[in-house]
Amino acid sequence: MITFEQVTKRYGERLALDSVSWHMDEGECVVFLGHSGAGKTSLLRLITHESRPTSGSVVVGTFRSGRISRSQRALLRRTIGVVYEDFRLLSDRTVFENVALAVHIMGLFSNEDVVPRVTHALEEVGLAGKHTAYPSELSGGEKQRVAIARAIVNRPAVLIADEPTGALEKRSADEVMALLRAIHAEGAALLLVTTNPAAAQALGGRVLTLEDGRLVNGDTGMPRPGRATRAGGV
Amino acid sequence: MHVFYFREAWRSFKHHRGLGSTAIFSLTAALALCAVFVMLADNARVALQLVGDRREMVVYLNDDVTPAQRDALVGRLSQLYGVATYVSKDDAWKEFSEQIGDPALLDAVGGNPLPASLRLKLKPELLNYEAMERAAQQVSKFPEVEDVRYGGDWVRRLDQLKDGMVRGAIAVGALVALAVVFVLYNTIRLTVLARRPQVEIMSRLGATDRFIATPFVIEAMLEALVSGVLALALAFGCQQALAAQIGNVQFLPWTWAAVFLGAVVLLGWLAAMLALSRVLRSVGA
Repeated sequence: MITFEQVTKRYGERLALDSVSWHMDEGECVVFLGHSGAGKTSLLRLITHESRPTSGSVVVGTFRSGRISRSQRALLRRTIGVVYEDFRLLSDRTVFENVALAVHIMGLFSNEDVVPRVTHALEEVGLAGKHTAYPSELSGGEKQRVAIARAIVNRPAVLIADEPTGALEKRSADEVMALLRAIHAEGAALLLVTTNPAAAQALGGRVLTLEDGRLVNGDTGMPRPGRATRAGGV
Repeated sequence: MHVFYFREAWRSFKHHRGLGSTAIFSLTAALALCAVFVMLADNARVALQLVGDRREMVVYLNDDVTPAQRDALVGRLSQLYGVATYVSKDDAWKEFSEQIGDPALLDAVGGNPLPASLRLKLKPELLNYEAMERAAQQVSKFPEVEDVRYGGDWVRRLDQLKDGMVRGAIAVGALVALAVVFVLYNTIRLTVLARRPQVEIMSRLGATDRFIATPFVIEAMLEALVSGVLALALAFGCQQALAAQIGNVQFLPWTWAAVFLGAVVLLGWLAAMLALSRVLRSVGA
């Protein structure tokens, strides 16, 4: 599903990722743990094709880094759901409209299908009664749940969470982590990026540690001599 | 999905009312000037047409032309150039007498020196200087003809005036078209930049350029349409005021008004596409 092969990413003189290789299969849960500046954000930007690797290759499903067109990039992004630390909700839209936007962008559903899909997603994250609320009227935990609803409303093959509890107090953070576990338990692959070792452990997935742009610990999932490949889902 | 795009366009306009209203006011002013100019040009065109249609050629006949020769010439000229009407020496003198009016002056002239003539009302396709000049040369070669007059300078000036008006209308139209594109280009660019966070979020959710651009294009086209309608309303007000002051001034024919609105909406589309093709690449991550 996602494979990094010897990926290096430089921003000018600064080395953000250094020959990183790892792989995750469909339905798997992988956690990237690392301090600030370790290269986690660079890694996510490479997955969503917001940037290109300086060398090496990034494969997400059937999309390979390199000369990918804008329309192909948009298609790739529609196949993954991303949750950001700062929620990235549109402040001038209600909770319902924020989630519905992702359905409209998908472009596969008629107007009649939008309401049940969005309603179901909001029920899944426990915000059934907040359809008409605006982001400014919500707590941090509720905003993050709206962002999760938006990320899962199109049933993506993989859900990527970039420090989803970073801006939340403990109780909301626990609720969000429980929600992510539940979504993963239903079959979606989950990729969590965090600075918090407790959050990494709480999710119970394969933990990879990033330090100064290098993978220093954990099972990369890459095929090794004498070991069966895990890359069957690519 | 189309309803969604229109809702998005309306939402965008509501959130940037100031920007949108400024664009509409600027466009309305430019388009109203253009509409009034086009209307006046159309009225002038109609007036010139009426004057031009009265253009005729006077073919003076030799004194020794027989009635049979004269009738044959009338038939030939009517066939080739238009409707020929015979004016005898007596009719010409009578007309001249009525114009002069003073019997003393007429007595001073002595006898009737005026020749008989044919008044030739030309076919529409011959109502321009070059064609009239050519026709005059051809007609003067008939043996029955003594001279041909058609007011060449006057015809040439009339044609030059018409050509000048057409060129002026094209120049004003091009200038206003550029102004429309410029105003809408910048309005849409500023609107997109003002909504940069939204565009970035949509791009990260996988929205295509077309999906992001369509509401902005609709917004630009609707702003252009509203400006066009307001401009026509102002031009209509102007026409009513002029008609009350100086009489017969016509508003634009409805087909022209429709073409005017269509062109304005098309320019709105063009400006938005130009602006979006550049700005989306810089905004969309």
